[in-house]
Amino acid sequence: MTSDYETYVQQVLAEVPGADSAKVTDAFVRYEKDFLIPPADALRSVLRRFQGEHGIVETKSKSTGGSSQRSAPPVKKVEKLSELSADDKNVEIEVEIATHNPRTTMVRGEEKVVPYGLLEDQPRSTSGNRTRWEYKDWGNSPNLAPGAIVRIEGASVNEYQGRMSLNINQSTRVVILEKGTRTVFTPGEPTDINLIKNDGQITVVGRLLASRNDVINRRDGSGTIDVVRGRIADDTGAIGFLSWEPFEHEVGSLIKIENAQVRTFRDTPEINIGSSTRVEIFHDTNFASSDELSAQAVSKIEDLRDGSRDVDIIVEVQKMIKRTFKGSEGEEKHVWSGDVADPTGRCRCSIWSEPPFDLDSLPIVIRLSSVRVRAWQGIPDITIDGEEQIEILAAAPWGEDIDLVDNTVEVSLPDLVGGPSRVGISTTGTVVSVREDCGIITRCSECRRVLRDGECATHGAQDGESDVRMRLVLDDSGATISLIINKEGVLSLLGKDQKQIQNMIRDDGQMVFVQGLREQFLGRKMNASGRTIVDDQGAMLLCDEAEVIEVDAGLIATELRTLWGVA
Amino acid sequence: MMQATRRARRQPAWPMLASEFGDSTLHEQGSGEFDPLFVITKLGAKVNRLLVAGLLERIEPRETSNGSTLWQGQLRDPSGLHYFSVGDYASESMKELIVQLSARAEQGETIMLIMVAKGRYFQSDEGSIYTSLRPEEAAEISRGSYREWLVEACGGMLERMDAHSKSQPLDSTEESYLSGGIPKHLCNGLLLANAHYGEIDIESYRLNILQALDIAEDRAVSSVPVAPKAVKTLDVEAEAEVQTSDDAPDLKETILGLIDRLDKGEGVDFNNILSNATARGIDRDAAEGALDELSDEGSVHEPRFGWFKRTV
Repeated sequence: MTSDYETYVQQVLAEVPGADSAKVTDAFVRYEKDFLIPPADALRSVLRRFQGEHGIVETKSKSTGGSSQRSAPPVKKVEKLSELSADDKNVEIEVEIATHNPRTTMVRGEEKVVPYGLLEDQPRSTSGNRTRWEYKDWGNSPNLAPGAIVRIEGASVNEYQGRMSLNINQSTRVVILEKGTRTVFTPGEPTDINLIKNDGQITVVGRLLASRNDVINRRDGSGTIDVVRGRIADDTGAIGFLSWEPFEHEVGSLIKIENAQVRTFRDTPEINIGSSTRVEIFHDTNFASSDELSAQAVSKIEDLRDGSRDVDIIVEVQKMIKRTFKGSEGEEKHVWSGDVADPTGRCRCSIWSEPPFDLDSLPIVIRLSSVRVRAWQGIPDITIDGEEQIEILAAAPWGEDIDLVDNTVEVSLPDLVGGPSRVGISTTGTVVSVREDCGIITRCSECRRVLRDGECATHGAQDGESDVRMRLVLDDSGATISLIINKEGVLSLLGKDQKQIQNMIRDDGQMVFVQGLREQFLGRKMNASGRTIVDDQGAMLLCDEAEVIEVDAGLIATELRTLWGVA
Repeated sequence: MMQATRRARRQPAWPMLASEFGDSTLHEQGSGEFDPLFVITKLGAKVNRLLVAGLLERIEPRETSNGSTLWQGQLRDPSGLHYFSVGDYASESMKELIVQLSARAEQGETIMLIMVAKGRYFQSDEGSIYTSLRPEEAAEISRGSYREWLVEACGGMLERMDAHSKSQPLDSTEESYLSGGIPKHLCNGLLLANAHYGEIDIESYRLNILQALDIAEDRAVSSVPVAPKAVKTLDVEAEAEVQTSDDAPDLKETILGLIDRLDKGEGVDFNNILSNATARGIDRDAAEGALDELSDEGSVHEPRFGWFKRTV
């Protein structure tokens, strides 16, 4: 054990030549064992103690006499987190609290609530260039709540492994500028698994569906951490978990996980079991059995999100090609990639070993187990690492009636906007905007991006290639999606060819052309199909087919009377 | 944390009748410079953007103190009027459209418009509250599209009326509203509305809907006048047809009497005349025909489009 501290002990002895090396080692051991402070962090304290004992005054300290009272460093008032450096203390800044998670930790043998979370600088700006840091609130200030805008006076900056965070200390003043809404924190009250969406602290009761040991490599290469990954389910859904602590419950057990943290990996929430989490066997004879839960835990394409793991799913492989590329060492590698579908939609699929089926005999229905999901441009890509994850099925469980080849699934606009990105869907809404740039556009011949003033941002000035598109906005029940219709879709929607559209714009001008589209479409109901990209800037539907729905207003009026009982 | 960045997302456009928007006296705006303004209606719609339609009733330019032109106009639907203004800040296409429309309206043309607009809220020094619209996009629409919009607006309003009455016995929390069957997109606005407006009378909204549905079903021609006289048609036969009902002098007398009684100085609006006539048991179409004849023979004139006055 001594050797672990040797370098630090030497450093102390170098500063305090008269110190007893055994005593110095003892001090480090005590810091690490009793206070869980590693020697690197304890160095300063140990040094100060022995300097004090040997009457050596810290050279940096300008304070006279032995007074331990340090005068507070000057206030550093900033607007942006980026203006701060690692050793700044007594910082004053206005921030918005993005997340706030109260966590109980043991500090010097006492239980203490130390909330942590994320905060953002420039809370009044909407520029989108805000910086986000983590914070820890050692004072557990009642003024911090998600969504609150506060002025923090007297915080200090902390840097750990290159990551900056803000320490809100017990002496820090937190002034509320705008109130947030603190999520009600009810410890011990289990949450339905399908309701777990956002980061925070939760308790769940569920049956263990899968559990396996895994190893995480530290990013800095300093070693590995043993973890356990798995999945638990209740009758509302299933969720993956990651345990940083030993986890030895058997698959099939009903367990209660108390005080776990939810973290989002890519777009997928995951339960984190840490040292403050309690996991125990739960007794409930009415709880759904493993078989029932596993059957229900089979995913559908509509549920897939970037970052999902341990997914079981049944899909029809529609198209697949073998691609060959060079690996990092120059060796030849293969990947089989293609399109898959189920009755809820379509997505991509990549197989990293020779598939156990013939590419010429497609379509074929397969059951996949424990696969991962990545996403590219919002489209889920089911990643299969080995052929043992694939089982070929004789028939599709959804029956012969559904032909998936051209299957588009009608999804309500609010569901689309609130869900993951999807392929092979159609939706209906009211046209509430016809953008001014509808019509003919010019694209870069290399990257297909739209040219601005005859210039591509990456490939410079050029003639480009002309293309047709329309940009609309659809609304339904408070949800809104931006609709981009491609050439094929526009030509069939307008019943004109590109030449005719070009002539119309040339003869009447862009404004008249767009105004004509508004007269035709504004306020009308439209059905559009294609694929969606949903991210934190909203939802977008890339559409290849759109049509106006003829509404029989008289009929609907009569229906409304009956439905709501208005004579 | 997924949506914690407050990037301004596009606000939905609520299809809404004029009465519901015009009755609003509550608004909400964040402190940030670009935070959206919301007007909260009595029925709990929290609107930033609206989809409205109706008959263009008036459109006039006004010089502002800084020398620019502000166009002010009104849009009539079966429930009342929307007031809107188009200023320098509007897009080129919007300004261009307004100039064209005003020229046509001056000629007495009937113009039916649909409009996507931002809601505006203004409180005068005396404390009176005015709501108005700032159109972003507008287009002339057919009667068919107008009827489509009417049923859409009525459907939304009926849903809000239902949510409003459901919310009355419930605790004022979102959870309680949700479990009481109130759609999620209405909860927040309804909580604010109920706290601000207290008990409200929704009977007039019900009447608005009845009128709107009548039009949607093409039962009545009420407040969307099929231009009683404005259209200068060359079709002689059609004109002759309108003028055949000579046999109703009593009817014309009654209408004249109504106009005398209802005129407070600036004339009587078309809808008002017809609804009063129907209330006296006169067939709506007949009343309309009589009014047409009265204007044709010069007994009444139309100082403003849709407003009738007895010729002195």
